[in-house]
Amino acid sequence: MTTQTVTLTINGRAQDFALDPQTPLLYVLRNDCGLNGAKFGCGLGECGACTVLLGDRPVRACTTRIGAVRDRPITTLEGLSSGGEHDGRTLHPVQQAFLEMQAAQCGYCLSGMIMATVGLLTRNPQADEKEIRAALRHQLCRCGTHMEILAAVRLARDRMAEMAAGHAGCNPINAADPPPRRRPAPDLEASAP
Amino acid sequence: MTSAPADPRTLRETTSRAYLEADDILLVTRPGSGNQPEIYLAMTGDGAVIAFNGHVDLGTGIRTALAQIVAEELDIPFDRVTMVLGTTSAVPDQGPTIASETIQITANPLRLAAASARRHLLAAAAEHLGTPLDDLLVEAGVVGNGRSTVSYADLVRGRHCRIEIDPATPVKPVSAYRIVGQPQPRTDIAAKTVGDWTYVHDVRVPGMLHGRVIRPPYVGYDHGDGVGDSLIGVDETSLAGLSGIVAVVTIGDFVGVVATREEFAAEAARRLKVTWKTPAVRPDLNDAETALKNNPGKKRILKDAGDVERALLGASPAMERTYVWPYQMHGSIGPSCAVAEWTPEQLVVWSGTQNPHFMRRDLARLLDMPEDAIIVERHEAAGCYGRNCADDVTADAALLSRATGRPVRVQLTREQEHGWEPKGAGQVIDVRGGLDLEGGPIAYDFETRYPSNLSPTLALILTGKVAAVPDVAEMGDRTAIPPYAVSNMRIAVHDMPPIARASWFRGVSAMPNSFAHESFFDELAAAAGVDPVEYRLRYLTDPRGADLVRAVTEKAGWRPRTRFGTEGSEGDLLYGRGFAYALYVHGKFPGTPAAWSAWVADVAVNRRTGEVSVTRVTVGQDTGLMINPDGVRHQIHGNVIQSVSRVLKEEVRFTQTGIESLEWGGYPILTFEETPDIDVLMIPRPDEEPRGAGESASVPSAAAIVNAVYDATGLRFRELPLTPERVLAALNGRQTLEHRQEMRAKRKRWLKFGRLGFLSVTGLAGLAAGGLAVLSPWRPAIEAIQRPDPALLGAASIERGRLVAAAGGCATCHADGNGEALAGGRRFDTPFGTVVAPNITPDERHGIGGWSYAAFTRAMRQGIGRDGSHLYPVHPYTSFTHASDGDLQDLYAYLMTTPASSAPSQPSTLRFPFNIRSLMAGWNTLYLGRSTVDYAPEKGEAWNRGAYLVEGLGHCSACHSPRNALGAEQVGSAHLSGGFAEGWQAPALTGLSPSPVGWTSDALYDYLRHGHSADHGSASGPMAAVVKQMSDLHDADIRAIATYLGSLQPSQHTQTAVAPAAIIARSQAAAPQAALAFPEGARLFEGACGTCHEGDEAQTRGLAHLSLNSNLSASRPDNIIQALFNGVEAPASLRAKPQADAQAMSMPSFRDSFSDRQIGELSAYLRARFAPDRPAWSDTAALAGSIRGSSAAR
Repeated sequence: MTTQTVTLTINGRAQDFALDPQTPLLYVLRNDCGLNGAKFGCGLGECGACTVLLGDRPVRACTTRIGAVRDRPITTLEGLSSGGEHDGRTLHPVQQAFLEMQAAQCGYCLSGMIMATVGLLTRNPQADEKEIRAALRHQLCRCGTHMEILAAVRLARDRMAEMAAGHAGCNPINAADPPPRRRPAPDLEASAP
Repeated sequence: MTSAPADPRTLRETTSRAYLEADDILLVTRPGSGNQPEIYLAMTGDGAVIAFNGHVDLGTGIRTALAQIVAEELDIPFDRVTMVLGTTSAVPDQGPTIASETIQITANPLRLAAASARRHLLAAAAEHLGTPLDDLLVEAGVVGNGRSTVSYADLVRGRHCRIEIDPATPVKPVSAYRIVGQPQPRTDIAAKTVGDWTYVHDVRVPGMLHGRVIRPPYVGYDHGDGVGDSLIGVDETSLAGLSGIVAVVTIGDFVGVVATREEFAAEAARRLKVTWKTPAVRPDLNDAETALKNNPGKKRILKDAGDVERALLGASPAMERTYVWPYQMHGSIGPSCAVAEWTPEQLVVWSGTQNPHFMRRDLARLLDMPEDAIIVERHEAAGCYGRNCADDVTADAALLSRATGRPVRVQLTREQEHGWEPKGAGQVIDVRGGLDLEGGPIAYDFETRYPSNLSPTLALILTGKVAAVPDVAEMGDRTAIPPYAVSNMRIAVHDMPPIARASWFRGVSAMPNSFAHESFFDELAAAAGVDPVEYRLRYLTDPRGADLVRAVTEKAGWRPRTRFGTEGSEGDLLYGRGFAYALYVHGKFPGTPAAWSAWVADVAVNRRTGEVSVTRVTVGQDTGLMINPDGVRHQIHGNVIQSVSRVLKEEVRFTQTGIESLEWGGYPILTFEETPDIDVLMIPRPDEEPRGAGESASVPSAAAIVNAVYDATGLRFRELPLTPERVLAALNGRQTLEHRQEMRAKRKRWLKFGRLGFLSVTGLAGLAAGGLAVLSPWRPAIEAIQRPDPALLGAASIERGRLVAAAGGCATCHADGNGEALAGGRRFDTPFGTVVAPNITPDERHGIGGWSYAAFTRAMRQGIGRDGSHLYPVHPYTSFTHASDGDLQDLYAYLMTTPASSAPSQPSTLRFPFNIRSLMAGWNTLYLGRSTVDYAPEKGEAWNRGAYLVEGLGHCSACHSPRNALGAEQVGSAHLSGGFAEGWQAPALTGLSPSPVGWTSDALYDYLRHGHSADHGSASGPMAAVVKQMSDLHDADIRAIATYLGSLQPSQHTQTAVAPAAIIARSQAAAPQAALAFPEGARLFEGACGTCHEGDEAQTRGLAHLSLNSNLSASRPDNIIQALFNGVEAPASLRAKPQADAQAMSMPSFRDSFSDRQIGELSAYLRARFAPDRPAWSDTAALAGSIRGSSAAR
């Protein structure tokens, strides 16, 4: 292996990595950047759990080598929303739609579904039902959340169209009262092993 | 209620001991099995309410439903409750999360705990406020008497208080419910939507290493010959040169690697050379019926009423039917993962296990540790519908952590998860029955066979801790009793040992058993000439079931029918409707009933292709009280989609020795395009006890669908899945099978003499003749010199030499395998033996530092080493002989200034007599200097420069010309007419090119410059390395090469004669026929290749359509097999090219994912679809085996 300095632009930030350019992007995102949205599902580009955006197009991070994406903008699930943790952060309309439609069971495929949807609605904002299903054809879900996911994609499409048309929906959307993130522990000291 | 553990720093849940020692707390407990009570509820002085449950959330949302129950009983806001699930240091042992029991059974102590706490707190409040109990009201955790108030937190604060769960505590009447029964958004989805949720895959602890395991070849089996006893050896030297390797661990058949980074561990696992015994041949589970009937079982009678045998004598008609359910898999989307941190005193594992306490017992046994020294921190994993590899990987991580003394994370591969997850077992059901004179069911004789499913945690077997002896369980009896009244009824189950590794999978044996019941009763109804719904209602004894059947059929607009075909047809599509019903009974016989379910399925069957689509499912469920109706609806959707997938598509395939379906192409599941519309009816029964909702809606699926297919076609299917080929075969009778055989027979045999057929046995004779043709084969040594002083070589010359080296591809062949350029070591397997490229760095001892220029040019032009020995023509001196003096001088200058490597050159190992280097003298006499390229001024500078580069430095003919029996390039019309290199077919560069679209100079330029041409696809294999090597060349040189090669094309090809669009259109037109001929190949393509190679331009942007790829039009399938085995890298040079961004993705290697047989099926489909005018390849599976074998020695 040959270690090089590879510069990646992830969620708007350029970062240098001293790694073999052959390193799969997925491992760098997860293990070096701590971005857990993209998931390892197959390593073969089949299931879509690791989908991220390269520019505005979905790619499979498991079969993408970092050497092939130097200096090209990479966006992960975490990069769609802005500011803070999920409580109080501004969600991307697609994230918001998935949340409202409760479009997850285990949620392992969720990040890939959202990223594929963002890619679809970017290149085809008026995607119809057939086009939506075709775009998600190679995003696999095993829990059977397809109905909720499709509903979320339709909702996101309609909302984004409204926003683009300058209707009231263009205000930032906030996560609807999510539960407190950390619960108080009665006595942390005592929990030490 | 988040996934965040109490201590985000250590990812450790707060232990029950900490709660027991905390101040300001109210605990509701039950006596535990040890000396410590089990805590069900904790309420703190600052208002937190933490509830504990021994079950875990498998993605179904029980975390939310349980919190609703607690909030309801306590009268506190829902979001005040935090659920802690599974973690052994905190929660009670309530057994494994199975059989949809959580709400129905496991939630009960929790509800009582909350009710006990409420009663306790109200009593305290009564005292505090001086008000009688009956006058108190609770609102949002605040108790009031109308005048003053006190909060639960106030009442808890200031002391440690424990109460026990009082089983007699009254719980709230349903009529008072405000939270339970209301739709409640799940507590986890907000965090999951933004990537904040910590799945077990996301757990990282300080100092953590990464592990991978290497599994034995008996894939998916955990008992029988060789299991636990197959490892012959591990060759750690196979990891030489890899970075970050920390340990290779072997214990029995357990093999693992640990490295500092995940990709290092993954690469080490791929590279590690492990030798295993040949695995045992197993019963053929592709034919589940035979395998199960031959598997010795013990017959257990569950019910014997009336006189079945006697009644059957009077049956008219009598029917004997056999139903076959295939092996299926859970197929979690995320392969299992775990982290373990072992110290001599304690083991902590972060695990996605479904059975945390059971897991702890297994780990104690595996590691010889006391159980209480082990903590299982339970985190969510990818959804699981029974049991996947979560436990196995947890044990793997524990072993690797113990071996390294460091925390280790182990991630299984997709292939390991598919191969080793305990499968949903196949099942075979025989039913005998018939009608009485009134058309009623006269008798029902039902025998079901179900291999057991108690797979031990794999590491226990692999390490030999537990003997690989199969255990027999009694689990085939779920829902074995049909819901209909038949006076003569005998129900039997054959309890039998497992065959392949199995575990319970959603619906367990109930789903196949109901498939048989509901198919058979449908058939009885048809025979009786009665509408199938009406028929069921006549004999259905359960009033709630009957209510559901009526409600669902009414919602679906069911029209009674007594014959098939009433739904009509449209073009090729035949429409049909089917019904089925089940009350899922699970648990130890006679079992516990969960929710009632009924289906009306609408299907469309394509009579031309055999494809079945389920277009709509109307599904009704009676769940009793629904804690979270949204959650129940979600579960119904999930069950419907997953079970449609299982019925239409899913079947695990087996090789002779193990699981063959190792990825999603080989085990396809339902996609969005195939998802039916789902109309859900939930019967409101808030006053009835809540029933498990996690599986029931799967149970009627198979029968409803096959009954609908009957309604559409008149054909009864009793074996699943309903693949197009199965349905078509039935539709067409034997016709289809014959057609398919005909299609296969039409393939022309392209290979008569094996892969290296072009090499004949006359080689030896020829060589001997060549040897005689020279007088003296001996050449003198040229004296060694001191390495030339770089300063004297001239910077300009060195730079020019760098480009000469790029044009000549020196670094491609003289690489050392670890990326160190020019140090040599790369092996070339030739028909005569293996030639190893030597070190050509300027090291005086091991490289060519001691070579004078004279010695260097002699080697380049005549193939003679400095010491006078003959080089083998793998070194293409027959081409280099045309190189100009100037270029060779520059090349010499460059090579003498590259970094010296002291890696010794490895000896080549040729077979006798080829190992006699002096014989090469004769060879040279015959073959050296036969071809020259004369300068042709009329063709222009570019052409002449191109000719020089192609025929001289570039030595294209070394790969692209055929070689004769002595390994010499053939000349004349054979020159550049296609050759063979490194297991790849190098296509013709002349008009003989197999490329569907003619090569133009522009296309050649694109291909050589960027590794990709829109009309031809990407360079792969050795050619990808050549393109990379040439990336330093000036554009003008690439243009020149393209000009020269372009001139070799027939004139009509210089203007693209066949439009790519026409070729693509022809391929699209061939797709349906290709899928009919090779349905499995079509599925493999869709699942494994479709992401990148299917769909419109927008999706495949930048990738050439496969119909344009000359590898698919080539005479031999070698390159396709090589590409599937080795993958294809995205050419980095494409980045410079606008619009080509799709190529950022590389094609992965499918070597470990596909069997040879699958490669054969896939290749056949690829050929039929993408090169429909070419004769079919044959014997691709055998060729795949031979290529796999020859490249296994990596």
